[in-house]
Amino acid sequence: MSGLFYLATLTFLIGMVWKILQYARTPAPLKIPTTPAPPTSAGVVARLARETLFFESLFRANLLLWFFAVLFHGGLALVFIRHLRYFVDPVPAWLVWMQPFGIYGGIAMVLGLMGLLARRFLIRRVRYISTPSDYLWLVLLLVIGVSGLTMTYVAHPDVVALKAYIQSLWHFTPAPFPADPFLTLHLLGFLVLLALFPFSKLLHAPGVFFSPTRNQADDAREHRHLAPWSQSELESQ
Amino acid sequence: MATIEVAGKTIEVDEEGYLTNLSDWDEEVAAELAKKEGIDMTENHWEVVNFLREYYEEYQVAPPIRVLTKAIAKKLGPEKGNSDYLYELFPYGPAKQACKIAGLPKPTGCV
Amino acid sequence: MATPTAVPTLDPTTIDQFTPDAMAGVRSFPAPPEIQGAIGFAPELSEGWEARAIARMGELLQENRALRVFLDACVHCGACTDKCHYYLGTKDPKNMPVARQELLRSVYRRYFTFAGKWFPKLVGARDLTRDVLDEWYSYFYQCSECRRCSLFCPYGIDTAEITMAAREILNHIGYGQKYTSEIIGKVHRIGNNLGLTAPALRNTLEGLEEELKEETGLDIRFPLDEAGAEVLLVTPSADFFAEPHIYSLIGYAKVFHAAGISWTLSTKASEAGNFGLFIGNHQQMRKIAHRIRDAALDLGVKRVVVGECGHAWRVAYSFWNTLIGVGSGADPDDRYGHLLQKQLDHRYKQPSHICEVTWDLLQRGAIQVDPEANDHLTVTYHDSCNVARGSRMGDTPDGAFEIPRAIIRKVANRFVEMDPATIRERTFCCGGGGGLLTDDLLDVRIKGAAPRMAALREVVETHKVNFMATICAICKAQFTKVLPAYGFKMGMVGGVHQLVSNAIRLGQNG
Repeated sequence: MSGLFYLATLTFLIGMVWKILQYARTPAPLKIPTTPAPPTSAGVVARLARETLFFESLFRANLLLWFFAVLFHGGLALVFIRHLRYFVDPVPAWLVWMQPFGIYGGIAMVLGLMGLLARRFLIRRVRYISTPSDYLWLVLLLVIGVSGLTMTYVAHPDVVALKAYIQSLWHFTPAPFPADPFLTLHLLGFLVLLALFPFSKLLHAPGVFFSPTRNQADDAREHRHLAPWSQSELESQ
Repeated sequence: MATIEVAGKTIEVDEEGYLTNLSDWDEEVAAELAKKEGIDMTENHWEVVNFLREYYEEYQVAPPIRVLTKAIAKKLGPEKGNSDYLYELFPYGPAKQACKIAGLPKPTGCV
Repeated sequence: MATPTAVPTLDPTTIDQFTPDAMAGVRSFPAPPEIQGAIGFAPELSEGWEARAIARMGELLQENRALRVFLDACVHCGACTDKCHYYLGTKDPKNMPVARQELLRSVYRRYFTFAGKWFPKLVGARDLTRDVLDEWYSYFYQCSECRRCSLFCPYGIDTAEITMAAREILNHIGYGQKYTSEIIGKVHRIGNNLGLTAPALRNTLEGLEEELKEETGLDIRFPLDEAGAEVLLVTPSADFFAEPHIYSLIGYAKVFHAAGISWTLSTKASEAGNFGLFIGNHQQMRKIAHRIRDAALDLGVKRVVVGECGHAWRVAYSFWNTLIGVGSGADPDDRYGHLLQKQLDHRYKQPSHICEVTWDLLQRGAIQVDPEANDHLTVTYHDSCNVARGSRMGDTPDGAFEIPRAIIRKVANRFVEMDPATIRERTFCCGGGGGLLTDDLLDVRIKGAAPRMAALREVVETHKVNFMATICAICKAQFTKVLPAYGFKMGMVGGVHQLVSNAIRLGQNG
């Protein structure tokens, strides 16, 4: 288990750094913001914030989809924060305070995922564009979510031992894994997700920040935007 | 390459039925092209076609619609110097259909 | 002769009722070898095209961040599936933006990603075969690059960028489209998309001067190649050639005349359109744009103004500064940029849209209008896609929507908006943009116009609208062709400056 932990984390980190560097280093030869677009960089920051926090474009596109997406992603964010208690010691007061919200988040996340999965079966257009991996990602996330909720409500694992185990990983002195079927499923699911993240459509997470239609300021007339490769022979004359 | 048969001759046309070689054009060819377009050539059709060819001869391009309507007004009377009249003669659009029958290349661009 | 196309009806309850591959066989004519070769592409498909296509895709991935990110980021959420006018009009599911992208993405995955190399079925990856290539040719020429999908995508994925990349690959290996390639050849050879020779252009403009003299008694000029003019006007060549385009050209001339601004057209830059954009070829786009830089330098003008042309305004507004330095803000050590920019008058926006010029004059009272002249018209306004989602006018982000409307309200008393879901940034393409304005694609064009026609029908029925103004040569030509298919008069469409032309007061400066 510990080996998998390190392997998956390493794959995730290396893969993400590689992809992010690749995005950052690939030039954007032309100004292509989808207009109306903000003319200043402050405006761009606000646009990206609205996009990533509130899913502005999706809201415009499809309310039901937006609702499930917010339910899932918002829930996931709360769950993520809740899980920080296994990684920090001592646990700060605010983190203790927000623990129940993490549980609500877990429920929201699973409901959101079920909605998203149902769409793929029920809406013919969405079924048409779905690949096997689209279903599998939702199933994997559901496995992680449902096993987590099961441990919260039904079969509590030894969380003290779990925390000790994670702390030991942190210090590169792995302690024995507190074996528990749901916990094993939960963690394996998470590690698979982590390792495959940089090779999958989950790249939409970093991708949105590099999307030229969203992250460029609309100032083409005011500044001469140049990309290295496109400076052609015409300019050197 | 597509072809059409006129009076025993085989004449090359492009995918859209425009003559490949402008020099292949004569009145028989025009009549055949018009038939393919479902147009019965009258005196007034010929006025337009002949003007297109004269203009092309001088400028190497089909005339702008306004130049055409003015020329037709001069020849056939002011009540016929408008594009509605030209559309009556050439329902698919005077620029393209009339050019095809006149043996000129198709006008391209945002028209 | 074109086969009659059944006009699609739009019913929101049948949005999911589609027919796979309904439009697979609809293809515009490929470019013959001599046309392809003349503009520097491979003349035709030949042995080894697969490898060359993949190699070109690899280069594009290195050159263009948008392509790289867009090919990775899509999660198949389906937000775009009901946003494309071609899907709505054809009900072919490959005309859903995500499915259109997937045609290219599936090949990208196969050759450039770990998952696609090892688990192609799982992630929907495909080898590049001749069938796939033909499918590209069909469906990437059923996209007008209007960017409506990019507005709704949560990651801003712009199908236009994907379509452009696919067309660039197709051209690179010798599978180009006749319509766009032939036109690009004409721009280089003759100076404009139509192939209007300099004598023909001069003759046309002189004819217009005579006509206006008869009509108004004034010497309203259409100057050509006049060095030292303040303004270089670059406008689509259709403005010289076709109706209703030419009425807007007359409008521009009247505006400059009434305001006393010296201006000129140029034989070298007798085309605003830039089909290099449509085929996604950066070098072509730059080369075509470069004629405008050359003309501006040769004629010594202080301002460059662009006429009513949608994609040209996107290229001018968003790309000219990058491509040819028409703009402001070049670095002090940017010699190429400065050479032109020091000549231009930066009190004005460079380049300016003709609507910006006219609106500024109207606001300052430098031109006067009589809106009663348009009282026979009830006007609505069709936002052109490239203006709406790929550019701006004025100082505020919504200037491209507000300024043309402000002009219309000033020059006409009766103005009505169409359904809010079909205007401004949500506007529907006319159905003929992006290199589709060709007779061999008339079927797609008529079907793609369906959403706009439905919105128009609504205001025709409720408000008796009888004029749809727009500022794009493609929109004008497309609507002229498809309006009759929907039972409307072709003369219903026209330019904003056609309305200005009707209403402007002349003579004060004549």
